Amino acid sequence: MNSPTVKPLVELRRACKVYDSLAGSVTALDGIDLQINPGEFLVVTGKSGSGKTTLVNILTGLDRATSGEIWVIGEPMHDYGPERAAKVRGKSMGVVFQSFELLPTLTVLQNVMLPMDFARRYPIWEQRKRALSLLEQVEIADHAKKLPTALSGGQQQRLAIARAMANDPALLIADEPTGSLDSATAEIIMDIFDRFIESGRTVFMVTHDRDIARRGSRIVTLSDGKIVGVEDSTHA
Amino acid sequence: MLKARWFKVINDLFGNKTRTLLIVLSMSVGLFAVGIILSARTILSEGLSESFAAINPSSGTVRTIQLFDEDFLESVRNMKDVEEADARRNISARLLTKSGEWKNLTVFVIADYDDIRVNKVSSQSGAWPPPERQILIERAALSVIEAEVGDVVLIKFPNDVERRVKIAGAAYDPAQLPAQIDGTPYGYMTFDTLEWFGEPYGFNELHIVAINGEDKAWAQRVVNRVKDKIEKSGYTIPLSMIAEPGQLPMNDVLQGILLLMGLLGVLSLFLSAFLVVNTVSAILTQQKRQIGVMKAVGGSSAQILGMYLVMVLAYGALALLLALPLGVYGAGALSAALAGFFNFDIYSMESPPETFAIQIAIGLILPVLASLLPFLANVRISAAEAMSNYSMSKGRFGGNPVDRLLSGTSLWFARNLSVRSILLSVRNTFRNKGRLTLTLITLTLGSATFISVFNVRASLSSTVEDMIKWFNCDTMLALDRSYRADKIQAEAESIPGVTGTDVWVQLPARLIRADDSESGLIYMFSPTVHPESLIVSPSLSEGRWLAPGDENAVVVPSAMLLDEPEMKLGGDITLKIDGEEYVFKIVGTFKGMAFLPIMYVNYDYITKITNRTGEADALMIAMERHDPEFVDAVTREVEERFEIMGIKIGLATTINTERRDAEASFDAIVSLLFAMAVLLALVGGLGLMGTMSINVLERTREIGVLRAIGASNQSVAMVFIREGIVIGVMSWAMGAVFAIPMTQGLNQALGQAVMGTPLTYTYSMPGFWMWLGIVILLSVLASFIPARNASRLTVREVLAYE
Repeated sequence: MNSPTVKPLVELRRACKVYDSLAGSVTALDGIDLQINPGEFLVVTGKSGSGKTTLVNILTGLDRATSGEIWVIGEPMHDYGPERAAKVRGKSMGVVFQSFELLPTLTVLQNVMLPMDFARRYPIWEQRKRALSLLEQVEIADHAKKLPTALSGGQQQRLAIARAMANDPALLIADEPTGSLDSATAEIIMDIFDRFIESGRTVFMVTHDRDIARRGSRIVTLSDGKIVGVEDSTHA
Repeated sequence: MLKARWFKVINDLFGNKTRTLLIVLSMSVGLFAVGIILSARTILSEGLSESFAAINPSSGTVRTIQLFDEDFLESVRNMKDVEEADARRNISARLLTKSGEWKNLTVFVIADYDDIRVNKVSSQSGAWPPPERQILIERAALSVIEAEVGDVVLIKFPNDVERRVKIAGAAYDPAQLPAQIDGTPYGYMTFDTLEWFGEPYGFNELHIVAINGEDKAWAQRVVNRVKDKIEKSGYTIPLSMIAEPGQLPMNDVLQGILLLMGLLGVLSLFLSAFLVVNTVSAILTQQKRQIGVMKAVGGSSAQILGMYLVMVLAYGALALLLALPLGVYGAGALSAALAGFFNFDIYSMESPPETFAIQIAIGLILPVLASLLPFLANVRISAAEAMSNYSMSKGRFGGNPVDRLLSGTSLWFARNLSVRSILLSVRNTFRNKGRLTLTLITLTLGSATFISVFNVRASLSSTVEDMIKWFNCDTMLALDRSYRADKIQAEAESIPGVTGTDVWVQLPARLIRADDSESGLIYMFSPTVHPESLIVSPSLSEGRWLAPGDENAVVVPSAMLLDEPEMKLGGDITLKIDGEEYVFKIVGTFKGMAFLPIMYVNYDYITKITNRTGEADALMIAMERHDPEFVDAVTREVEERFEIMGIKIGLATTINTERRDAEASFDAIVSLLFAMAVLLALVGGLGLMGTMSINVLERTREIGVLRAIGASNQSVAMVFIREGIVIGVMSWAMGAVFAIPMTQGLNQALGQAVMGTPLTYTYSMPGFWMWLGIVILLSVLASFIPARNASRLTVREVLAYE
């Protein structure tokens, strides 16, 4: 599995997440231990309600774990409040959602520029250039001036990936990125992820699609908030 | 080049024009209310003092019985400490109106209309100066005498000479009480015209301006010196008056209005703040998911807060663009209306810079402060939660006693009734209690103000009723001199329709203060005090009414105790009557106006000390019926009979006219309050519309579920409309309760300002029920647009929303 000589990019130690509601407590993640190495394309799969999205949320700092440790690129996300977590995301992570989550009142170009603006990583004159370059990489530069609603589902997800790559993150985290797409478009998205891996970066992807999951280098299966299986894919 | 985040702000502002318009309108209504009130307050205050200063107001007025000439006037002008003096002739005449009613008319005769030095009168329209055998009428009096410039009216002088006189123009005389308020019109003519009426040349009224007259005590001393000179010159002074420096006659009432406007300004401010919080909450609810996305792509709370604060500032700025000019226009219109009512000109309609500063501060700073609260509440939730789909765990309903009360177990009686959708609306109302509270505060304040305005109107009527109910008569006749009481009573009682009569004596009196200074004119009314008297006790504030056998007892207006600190209930006062000083004991105070000082003493005692036993100069007549037509007809008959008998009537007043005049004097206040109530109701309605819009947005998924299980457009819309009605009715109920202390506060403020005592508290049931109707209508209208939007959502759109 993991080489003992390589320092993991992401490490989860006994990560737990419990939701409280009027109906009582629900354990979404139950003591997850997981490591992701640099350059790895890790895919998490499982049935609906198995805890996949919760795992994405605590990994990205969008939500906090109830207990356990979550280390991402040397940052203890479990200790971080929303502010620190947002900074880490802006600097080191790109996040892609199933429902794209694009800002409807910004153009395609402006959507990609927004994370750069927040992270203050590039001078303003470079932001536009870089955003156009990213849009070219995902082959939607022609639509730069359009609003996201004018794009097809596949184009919107490509835009979401371009936005996720805006600050040149070491880690791309994708939650069901192909869940809303047809199989042909899903292939295009996966090709983009492959190119991302080829450039030496790491991808963490959640999917319930077994065919898509096989594109990863390692497949982790979740059930009832626990890891029930780990397998290396032939893809790697 | 703009940063990407600012593009979002700009696109959000102008991308959803309807929402922006609604928010800007909501904010501008509050800002407009604040602007109009603050500006009008300043414009009126400044206009009042400027307008009054422009006429060179007198420090005091002295009336003489004998006529004096220009030489005497010149000698007064040359007195030390007299800055200026002027004289005119004052005649109490009568004028026949088109409706056949004889109205009292005070005629001023001025020697040189182009050289009026004190209490200046100016031309409003038509001829100037008044041509020979023609008259000018004070502009506020034209409506009172039911005439226009160019009309010919019949005027009767006290010497019984009647002349048909053309109204050649309108004059402007702000030194007098507005005719529509005190019921006495004023006319202006020349000495040539006076001669035509058979009256000799000469003045009987002296207006004095003291050097440093802004010091009232000093002005009093100067006027006293002038009076000494007048009396030493052999003239008799029946009355003299000291003016409040720099104040118009109706200053107390206007100050009451300004005070109310201040109170309403503060109220508007609060409502604006609530509205802003509601509005910002609406924006944040709508953008909750986008906030989550921005956090997900690395946006910090400070960055996102900055974006929304700029957006809120932009809304505020847009609202200001609308509210500032409208406020200026509204303040001008309101000031003009009130100045017209109180009969003074406003020279400058400029809104004060402080008002703009306050509006800008409210428009820009308040929304920012107000938005911090909902924003911080939104910031606390995690990005994951912000981006999550609707979750039942966040339903917020069911966790407390109110929710349980509205749940199925408590409503067992409704199980077999088809009220499920109604219960859904009722329960939905309580789901977001914070938002419900804000909406209820806004709408309840609007409700309470609306009901309170009706209560104040009813209280004013009750107070007027209290003031006149102790006159158990229908008509009061003031005679030109004293007549034998039994003779005039017998004459009047012989006329069909008259059921009883009573008499009184009325005398001018002055209060002699400890420092020997004298007050202005006080009307001393001396009614008979016995079981058959037509006058019973007036509405007393404190103490008691006159009793049979009372000798030097006096009942004074409560407002006078505020103006004259030496006067106390149970204390002694010295009054000057017919040039003699008498000591009286204050046994009671009654609700009376500060600008109309009246005192009551026992008829038997006054006629004894003034050697007028058995005489009367005023007659009260009680009639079979009290409707205006009957009372007017019988009054005319009495007047005709008295004329034949040689009994001259100086003034005839019916109780109906008194009631109408007294209520008319409060019309401006009530109209203003009503306008403000409408404005507040509008603010409340907009607040409700904002709330319902958020509710629709928040429950998009639920709407999808309702539609999926077969709910029609109408059913979906009705869920929200009924919810709006539930909120409206709750605000009505709470507003109706809150209106009780609010009315008491308004009655206290208004009553103290105008009459020195609170108004008689009355709760207006018509106002209570009317507001219920209005609030339901308002709730339906406010919920209609959000409800229509909800009903138009398709299941596909609901999915797209997610």
